[in-house]
Amino acid sequence: MNDNLMDELWSCLCNVIDPEAGINVVELGLIYKITVTKYDVHILMTMTSAACPMGDLLINDIEQAISQALPDVTTVNVELTFNPLWDPSMMSETARKHFGW
Amino acid sequence: MAMIAMIVGIFGGLMRLGISTPTVFSSQVGNHGAFMLSAFFGTVICLERAVALNKPWVYLAPLLSGLGGLAMILQSPIEWPSALFTCSGIILCIASFKIYLQQRVLYTLTLFIGALCWMSGNTLWLLTEYHLLAIPYGIGFLVLTIAGERLELTRFLPPKPKANKIFAFLLSVTLIGIVTSSMRTDAGSVFMGAGLTGLALWLIQFDIARTTIRKSGLTRFVATCLLLGYGWLFIGGLLFMNKALEPGALFRDAALHAILLGFVMSMVIGHAPIIFPAVMRVKIPYSSAFYLPLVTLHVSICLRITGGFLDNVPLRVIGAEGNAIAILLFVAVILYQVKSGYGKA
Repeated sequence: MNDNLMDELWSCLCNVIDPEAGINVVELGLIYKITVTKYDVHILMTMTSAACPMGDLLINDIEQAISQALPDVTTVNVELTFNPLWDPSMMSETARKHFGW
Repeated sequence: MAMIAMIVGIFGGLMRLGISTPTVFSSQVGNHGAFMLSAFFGTVICLERAVALNKPWVYLAPLLSGLGGLAMILQSPIEWPSALFTCSGIILCIASFKIYLQQRVLYTLTLFIGALCWMSGNTLWLLTEYHLLAIPYGIGFLVLTIAGERLELTRFLPPKPKANKIFAFLLSVTLIGIVTSSMRTDAGSVFMGAGLTGLALWLIQFDIARTTIRKSGLTRFVATCLLLGYGWLFIGGLLFMNKALEPGALFRDAALHAILLGFVMSMVIGHAPIIFPAVMRVKIPYSSAFYLPLVTLHVSICLRITGGFLDNVPLRVIGAEGNAIAILLFVAVILYQVKSGYGKA
């Protein structure tokens, strides 16, 4: 059950696009960890920089995407961390290819 | 507060061009530059930093500069606005320096130097009671903050160590120009112009906008705003190289508005659907209607600057009116989108 939910959560986050990059937050490597306890979901994520003002927007988009796709999940907590700092090596192969790596 | 500043500033600017506006704005005619640069753009950029850092005390920076704008509207004693703006600069410097300590790299350094420009310009204004000297510093603050953020985003692309060195060089040239301008406007203008022109070319060459413009929706819109803005930064830079910073210079109006409207305002329009929701706690769904103010803005800047080149006052006035219409359209589209966002929720 939890595995299924986990897959659904990851694919849900794949629909949340970083408007500046035009690529979803999973491919960009911004999602560090998803923890599921009963029906509560905790997402640990980062921004490319501590000076990036897009945090609130992405957190809202994530909460909205999850509540729309998975109405059974009652609580979504998104926590922003800068430890470790984001690094370009965290991007997926697809994202890197898109930017010409 | 930034919104009030913008509207008062726009009317002050229009009035200066001899366009009839309600007399309540007449107090701002002489202040238009100080008002738009510090009270509006300064507050918007401080607000953007505060949102990013998400610490209550950093919000003092936009609050103080907003109050500075208010003090200008209320025609308070002459040193009040500049004192408030200086305090805003000090807060922003501390906040930016903290980010730099967290991550000691070129883009955080650029943001910190941008904040230093903001503080220094406002301090000069406070000490001399003369806003003219603060203008290059204000431009430095806005351009360096934006350029620093764009530099950060180039990390999505494969690293180009040479590009970073060129950026650092251009940053230094711009800074030399800004500082020199306080003593010798003509020489300062040339250096600052050269730095800004170079930064525009750098951004056109290395920014992710050339990749992201191939996407769709909001991503493409942001990229369009960026690339158009870089074009104006380039033109403004060239004009400053021609000593446009000197008071009374023929291309002064063109240079200032190419950079502040063509580049900075374009950036504000592009990022409104991203930043404003965080600031105002409302949703602003993106719609292609945002192209309307963008196109109006750029067409009217073209008219205004062509008018400047040909020394054709009526054309300049039409352009300036178009600029004001573009900004009001932008506000209208935001309000409409906020409303439709609520409709869906």
